[in-house]
Amino acid sequence: MKSLMVLAAETANEATVVNEFEQTLLRVFILIIMFGLGAGLTVKDFTLALRRPWGLAVGWVAQFGIMPLTSYVLIVAVLLPFSPPEGVLFIALGALIMGSVPAGTTSNLFTYFSKGNVALSVTMTVNSTLWAFIMTPLALWAYSNLLGLDESLSVPPGELATVIVGLIIPVGIGMLIRKLSANIGSLIELIGSVFGLLFIPFLIAVWVPRNWQLLLDTQWPTYVVAIGIGAVGMAAAYGMSKLLRLHPANARTIALEAGINNGPLAIAVIVAVYIDSPGLDQILLVPALYSLFIVLLSTVVTLIFRRANLAAEQKIPNLL
Amino acid sequence: MTARPWLAHYSSEVPHDLPEFPYQNLAELIRDGSGTYAKTKAFTQVMANGMNGSLTYSQVDQYSDKFAAYLRETLGLKQGDRVAVQMPNCLSYTIVAFGILKAGLVLVNTNPLYTATEMIHQFSDSGAKALVVIDMFADRLPEVLPKTSIEHVVTVRISQFLPPMVAGVIRITQKFWSRTLPKIKVPHTPFMDALVAGGKALSKDKLAAYLSGVNRDSVAALQYTGGTTGVSKGAMLSHGNLVLNTLQLIAMCGDYMRPGKEVVVTALPLYHIFAFTINLLGFWHMGARNLLVPTPRPPSNLRRVFENYKVTWMTGVNTLFNALLNERWFTDSPPKHLRASAAGGMALHESVSENWRKVTGTPIVEGYGLTESSPVLTFNPLNGGGKDGTIGIPVPSTLVKLVDENGSEVPLGEPGELLASGPQIMLGYWNRPEETAATVSGGWLKTGDIATADSDGYFTIVDRKKDMILVSGFNVYPNEVEEQIAAVAGVLEVGVIGVPDERSGEKVKAFIVSGATRPTAAEVISYCREHLAAYKVPSLVEYVDELPKSPIGKILRRELRAQEIASMSNKRG
Repeated sequence: MKSLMVLAAETANEATVVNEFEQTLLRVFILIIMFGLGAGLTVKDFTLALRRPWGLAVGWVAQFGIMPLTSYVLIVAVLLPFSPPEGVLFIALGALIMGSVPAGTTSNLFTYFSKGNVALSVTMTVNSTLWAFIMTPLALWAYSNLLGLDESLSVPPGELATVIVGLIIPVGIGMLIRKLSANIGSLIELIGSVFGLLFIPFLIAVWVPRNWQLLLDTQWPTYVVAIGIGAVGMAAAYGMSKLLRLHPANARTIALEAGINNGPLAIAVIVAVYIDSPGLDQILLVPALYSLFIVLLSTVVTLIFRRANLAAEQKIPNLL
Repeated sequence: MTARPWLAHYSSEVPHDLPEFPYQNLAELIRDGSGTYAKTKAFTQVMANGMNGSLTYSQVDQYSDKFAAYLRETLGLKQGDRVAVQMPNCLSYTIVAFGILKAGLVLVNTNPLYTATEMIHQFSDSGAKALVVIDMFADRLPEVLPKTSIEHVVTVRISQFLPPMVAGVIRITQKFWSRTLPKIKVPHTPFMDALVAGGKALSKDKLAAYLSGVNRDSVAALQYTGGTTGVSKGAMLSHGNLVLNTLQLIAMCGDYMRPGKEVVVTALPLYHIFAFTINLLGFWHMGARNLLVPTPRPPSNLRRVFENYKVTWMTGVNTLFNALLNERWFTDSPPKHLRASAAGGMALHESVSENWRKVTGTPIVEGYGLTESSPVLTFNPLNGGGKDGTIGIPVPSTLVKLVDENGSEVPLGEPGELLASGPQIMLGYWNRPEETAATVSGGWLKTGDIATADSDGYFTIVDRKKDMILVSGFNVYPNEVEEQIAAVAGVLEVGVIGVPDERSGEKVKAFIVSGATRPTAAEVISYCREHLAAYKVPSLVEYVDELPKSPIGKILRRELRAQEIASMSNKRG
C-alpha cells in the first residue's frame, strides 16, 4: 500500500500522476499535437460534422450511455464478487467516475492516426465536455445509488473550460495557419504527428517506473475493470456505430472517442472532491491504471484500424 | 471529300478549320504563353499532404532556356538528337520538356515505372543520347545504360523548386522514412547544376540558332505506344502536330477555357500524350495554373488539391473520375469553382458521367484520340450539345470516316473502322516504315477502333477491332457487355473477353472486381439476359481481386486473354 500512498500524495499535490516539469512538458506536447491536428483540418470538415449530427448523437450516447454502464457492469460482475471487501467500494467509486467523465484530447490524436474523422472527433470532445457539466454528475449519481453509495459530486466548470479552451484555440490557430499557407500548415501537421508518436512512449516512460509497485500490488479484478472500461466501451461503441451503418471512418472515430476518457480530468475531479477522504488512494486507483492502459489499448486498436483503412482504400491502377 | 455533318454542331465561336499555321514550332507557342502571362503562376506541384511549390510563366521560360543551352552547349547535343525524360508530374518536368523543345531536340517521354527491359527497348529504339530521370528511379541505370546509346544522365529531385524548408522535409522523409532514394551508381549531373551550367552558356543568338530550320514538319517528340498491340514503337509527333492539336482542342472548348483564369488539376501523368497535349500545352497556351499531382494513387492524394485550390478544370480517365466519385470527401464537398471536365484515354462510362454531373453540377465530356494523332481527334461540345456514350464530333480541320474491310465507307449507323485525317496525324513510326505504311496511308490514320456514326456526325466507339468476340458468327463488342455489367450493384470493375469454345468458336467471359457486396454470377448473368441479346450474355463469370491495366488505367483485355489461356492450358496439362 505504500506506493499507493505515494501516488495519492503526489496526485494530491500535483493533481496528476506526473510532476510539475512533466506536467508542463505534457501540456506543450498536447499543444503541439493539437496545432498539428488543426493544421490538417478545414472549416468545411466541421460544417460537415455538424451537418450530419447523427454521428455526434451516436457519440453522445456512447459517451454517456455506454461508458458509465460499462463501468457499472464491470464493477458488479467482476470487481465486487472477486475482490477482498476492504476498500473495494472506493475502487468502485473511482471506476464509476472514470466511466462518467467526458473524452479527452488523446482521443483526437488516436483518431488522427487511425485515419478517422478528426473534425468529428474534436467536435465530439467539445460536445461531451460541455455536456459533462450535467451528465457526469448525473451518471455518477444514478450508478452510485445502484451500488448503495449515494455519491454526488460536481465537476468544477473551470476544469471543463480548460479542456475546451485548450482544444479549440490550438486547433483554430492550426486551421488558420493552413488557410494562410498550405506549406506551413503541412509542416505543422507533420511536426504534430511526430510529437504524437513520441507522446505515447513518453507517457509510458513517465508512468511505469513510478508506479511499478502499484502494478504489482493491484488485484486482478481491478485490472479487469481499469482495462475493461476502455476495451468494452470501445467495442460497444464501435458495434453500435456499425449497426447504425455509420461511415467506417466515423465508426472508428466514435469508438476511440467513447473509449478514451479524459483520465487527467477524472483525477483532477477526484482530488478536488475527495481530498479529505480516507479512501482517496483507492478512489484514484482505477483512473490511474486506466490512464496507462488506455494508451496501450488505443495503440493496438489504432494499428488494427489503420490496417482496416488501408484494406478499404480504393485501389486504382497506376496512373504514375 | 468526306461530308462533315458535325460542323452544324460547333458552337458559333468554333472555327470549322484552323487558321494558317500560327507558330513555326512549339518553342514559339511556349514563348507566346510566357510573354503574355509572365507573372502568372503556371505550375503548382501539390504533394499528398498539401506541401507545394510554384513556378511562374516567366520562371519556366527562363529555366527552360537555360536547360536548352545546357543540352546544346554543355552536352553538345545536335539538332534532332533525342532526349529521354522519365519522371512523374513535377515542376522540373515542365522545364525539362520545354527546354528540350526549345533546344531543337526530340523529347522521348518515358514511363518512370518501366522495367529495365522496357527502358532498354525504348532508349535504344529511340537512340536517345541523354536521359533526364527522377532520382527515385535511377537505381536501374547501371543495368540499362550499357545497352543503350545514352551518354549523359541528369537527375531530378521531386522536391525541386519547392520552398527550402518543405523541400528539406520531403528529402529527409524520402531518405529515412519511405527510403525511396536509391544510391545512383552511374555518373550523373544534378538538375540544378545543369541549369547553372546552361545559364552560363546561354545567349539569345544561340537560342535562336537551336531552332533554325525547326518547322511544323520537324519531329518534336517520339511518343511510344503500342504497348497494347505488341512491340512498343515511337510515334513521330511533329511540332506542327502538337501545336495544331493544342489549338484544335482549345477551339472545341470555346468559352469554357477562359484565358488567364483557369486552374486545372493534372493528375494524369504528363509523359502520356493526353495530359501532355491537353494539360501541359493546352492550358499553358491559355495562361492557366496547372496543379501537378505526382501521383493520384490512392485517390485520397487529391484531397488537398481540391481543398486548397479553386479548381476550375479537370482532365482524367474514367477510372479517375469514378475513383473520385467513390471518395466521401469528394462527394461531401465537390469543387465549388469547377467549370468543366474532360475525359479521354478510355471509354467514359455513362453511369460515371451522369454521376459526375450530378455531384459537381458541371459538364463532363468525352474526347477521343490516339497517341498517333497527338492525341485529340474528336471531342464532345461542352455547351450542352454533347452526347453521352459518344466520343463526340471531330475537332476543327479534322475528317473522320468509317470503313469496312475493303476500305469503302459503311452506310450510316453501321459499324466500321474509324479512319481520321488532319494536321494532328503523326509523321509515322520512328524507323518502322512497314508499320507506318500499315497504319497511315494517303493521310488517313487507321485507328483500329470500330465505331458507328449518327446523322449528326457524332461517333460512338463500339470496340477495338482486335477485341471483338466472335460468338457463332455474331460480333460481340466487349465494351457493350462491360457497360451493362458495370451497372449491376456491387460491381466495381469489369473486363470482358472472348475465350475459345468448341461449340460457338468463342464464348463471352466476364472478369469482375466486386465491392463489399458481391453479386452472384447468376445475378450478373440474369441482368445481362434482360439487357443484352442472348449471344452477348457472358457464359462465364469469374471474380478477381484486380484487373490488369495499362499505365493510364485502361483494362488490358490482351493480358486477361493471355492469363486465361495460360490457366486453361495449365488445367489441361
